[in-house]
Amino acid sequence: MSVLNKNGQNREANVSDIVAAHHSGTAARPALRAGPLVRGFKTYRTEIAIAVAIILIEVVVSLWIPQALSLGNVANVAQAAAPLVIMSLGVLLVVITGGIDLSVGSIFSLTGMVTGLAMSSGGMDWPAACLLGLGVGLAVGAVNGALVTFVGLAPFVVTLITYAVAGSLSFVITNGQSIAILNGDFWLLNSGSIVPGIVNYLFYSIVFIAIAELALRRLVLGRWVYAVGSNDRAARLLGIPVNGVRFSVYVFSGLLASFSSLISLSYISNAETTAGANLMLQAIAACVIGGASLFGGTGSAIGAMLGAVMITVIQNGVNLIGINSFWQGSVTGLVILVAVLVDRVAKVRS
Amino acid sequence: MWLEEALPAHSPRPEVMIENSIPVLECLDIEKSFGATSVLKRARLTVKTGEIHALLGGNGAGKSTLIRIVSGSIPADGGSVRVAGATDFQQSSIAVVFQELALLPHLTVAENIDLPNRKNGFAPAGGRKPYEAAFNALSQIDGVLAGTVLGTLVADLDLHQRQLVEIARALASGARLILLDEPTANLTFGESERLFAIMRRLARSGISLVIVSHRMNEIRAIADVCTILRDGKTVVDRKPMASIDDEQIVEAMGQKQLTEAEQAKAGPTASRRPAQRVTNATRLALAHGAIRVAAASGDILGLAGAPAGPGTLLDHLTGVRPSSEWEIMRDGRPLRFASPSQAVRAGIGYVTGDRANKGILSSLPILDNIVAATRVARRRLFASAEEVGAASRSLDRLSIKASSIDAMPSSLSGGTQQKLLLARWLDDLPDILVLEEPTRGVDIGTKRDIYDIVRQAAASGAIVVWWSTEFAELAAVCNSVISFDLSGRPVEVLEEGYITEVTLAKATGMAA
Repeated sequence: MSVLNKNGQNREANVSDIVAAHHSGTAARPALRAGPLVRGFKTYRTEIAIAVAIILIEVVVSLWIPQALSLGNVANVAQAAAPLVIMSLGVLLVVITGGIDLSVGSIFSLTGMVTGLAMSSGGMDWPAACLLGLGVGLAVGAVNGALVTFVGLAPFVVTLITYAVAGSLSFVITNGQSIAILNGDFWLLNSGSIVPGIVNYLFYSIVFIAIAELALRRLVLGRWVYAVGSNDRAARLLGIPVNGVRFSVYVFSGLLASFSSLISLSYISNAETTAGANLMLQAIAACVIGGASLFGGTGSAIGAMLGAVMITVIQNGVNLIGINSFWQGSVTGLVILVAVLVDRVAKVRS
Repeated sequence: MWLEEALPAHSPRPEVMIENSIPVLECLDIEKSFGATSVLKRARLTVKTGEIHALLGGNGAGKSTLIRIVSGSIPADGGSVRVAGATDFQQSSIAVVFQELALLPHLTVAENIDLPNRKNGFAPAGGRKPYEAAFNALSQIDGVLAGTVLGTLVADLDLHQRQLVEIARALASGARLILLDEPTANLTFGESERLFAIMRRLARSGISLVIVSHRMNEIRAIADVCTILRDGKTVVDRKPMASIDDEQIVEAMGQKQLTEAEQAKAGPTASRRPAQRVTNATRLALAHGAIRVAAASGDILGLAGAPAGPGTLLDHLTGVRPSSEWEIMRDGRPLRFASPSQAVRAGIGYVTGDRANKGILSSLPILDNIVAATRVARRRLFASAEEVGAASRSLDRLSIKASSIDAMPSSLSGGTQQKLLLARWLDDLPDILVLEEPTRGVDIGTKRDIYDIVRQAAASGAIVVWWSTEFAELAAVCNSVISFDLSGRPVEVLEEGYITEVTLAKATGMAA
């Protein structure tokens, strides 16, 4: 008996009914939650829908070009998706808190240039150069976080500034030249195997997704991230360390953008000044396709990963079919529109 | 009177027992100023264990400031706050349930209750223990709710349920004193009743509750003792409710010397039927199945009942959402709008009691707030100098004291903001004035002002449609009242002479 249901029925039921129901045991301790399978399906409804959509896209493309479903092409997609997946996870954290990070593309470019320069002109070992590269993400992320959290500037404005500055610095440090990487072992970062049998880019993706998904859902820390995005004033009143959480998500976003740049650099072996130019919008799009709201409070790691994979699959499909690659942006835009419309309709229905 | 039957006065525990129990909260000579404005001057508040304590005062008396100081969200300039005799106390032993609830809508009920108790970010968030902690806290309040909503997102709960979740959270964090700031402002009658039953049960188990309310009936029904603030000073300190009558309370608050009951008697005679004097009278005919009501210029038509029914009618009238169930004719032509702006241009004015969300334009100065409606109605493209004159006239007419017409609405008290919303429509009076709980959360003095303003508007030729959850108010101001049942269907039309709190309660079924 739902005495307090939303439709206003049964309002005449009074407190003694409630208490009586409670004591007679009819209401006491029904199963506190649904079974794990039902819960899993409910929790991951959006994610399952995206996964199905990705498979449908692949099947449709394979009707034209059969090799779309070949192992080689799937590996290609995974390779191409890995940097975007990792970057999207960072952006997702920021988006869940109700912020936005426009600087990740520029961080990606600058990290590539700094790391490349350190190895070529600086003569550094690749692990040391990579640490230096991660320093770029750490530094820019910390600036973003500090300005948003402690100065109170709007995330859009702050990251627009760092987007512009980091983007221009990646031209400045090499005077606009790209850098070819000749270091013999650097490819191992992307294509080696830390764990035998799993190529590294796949390994990183899986590890990061698993950590992000578990932390967001299962750790108090993760729930704090949602709490900040849900209602930051309430979160502060509840004693949740809002400032710490907000600062950290920007730092993580910067670090993950740098890391995604490193594995991409390791694969391409060439540092370009504009390498990350398209990635920022794609990363935000991946979060949105994956069910995140730019108003904060919602979003999931697996959703963002699937969003990133979907964007990559579309690009791959457009390439395979032989459509002029200039159309990629339009197709991706349409897919985002469909994704948010479906989400909207589902919400209105429920 | 009916209300006394339906709300059996909270049988206060023997006074001796309350007086001898330990004070759980002692605020002594609290002082607080914001800039040059002194808000609290030697305010005192003493709350004992297991009592329900009404904190009363007019708008601007300093109640909210005192609550914020007690809850630790702002520091006091002077004086001391002691909890159970100690000045260094755990802030978590005091919890405040604000009108604007501090919940996390995207998280589940269980998380909302349990998360504040988690200090270690690296600890697992899920599992059985948090669920059980949340269940235990919520089942102290409502067993059924605890059994059904723990896994639900707070965004999917209704307001009353959210309030209960917030109280549960206070209990789970070990609060011994819970302050409720106008907890019934947005509740229906039945929901308020349930809340009071819960409050009584908590008080019996030794929790102290402080309630802020402007509704005399409620205070009578629920409180053991009261403290009254006026201009930042405590003018009545811990007086048992049994030894203070309504008039003394109103007097202590510094309100005009007229209780709501007296006013209900005095009010109607003055201006109930001025319609004959009005030329160009508008006629309105409303029909919903067998229910038919007619109103003409000068009439005040009341709507009584749970939000669902009146809400549908108000949405139809104001062009928010046309209803297929209502057939409304105005001067013989159907009244139906595709949008609120169409409604405004057709002479429909709307005033809400939900100032923050549906009323005040908080980032625009008072001037723009007043002329907002006229600008839409007259399709103005440019701000004009004559607007300033019109707006100043409206402010004067309502005796709204603002430092400047360019000041922000936030510089006004809640009650004055409410008058500001009415001012929107007075310079260019609409044919139909639709009011949605226009006196929500305002003090008795301001309520009286609002009644006067609306009566004048009717006398000048407007038809007023007034929804209120306060039956005393409807009885005082309306010519006829449509009552709605709990499912939102109109059930009866009460005509002048038959509108009393008792008949309204019976007709709406809200006496449960």
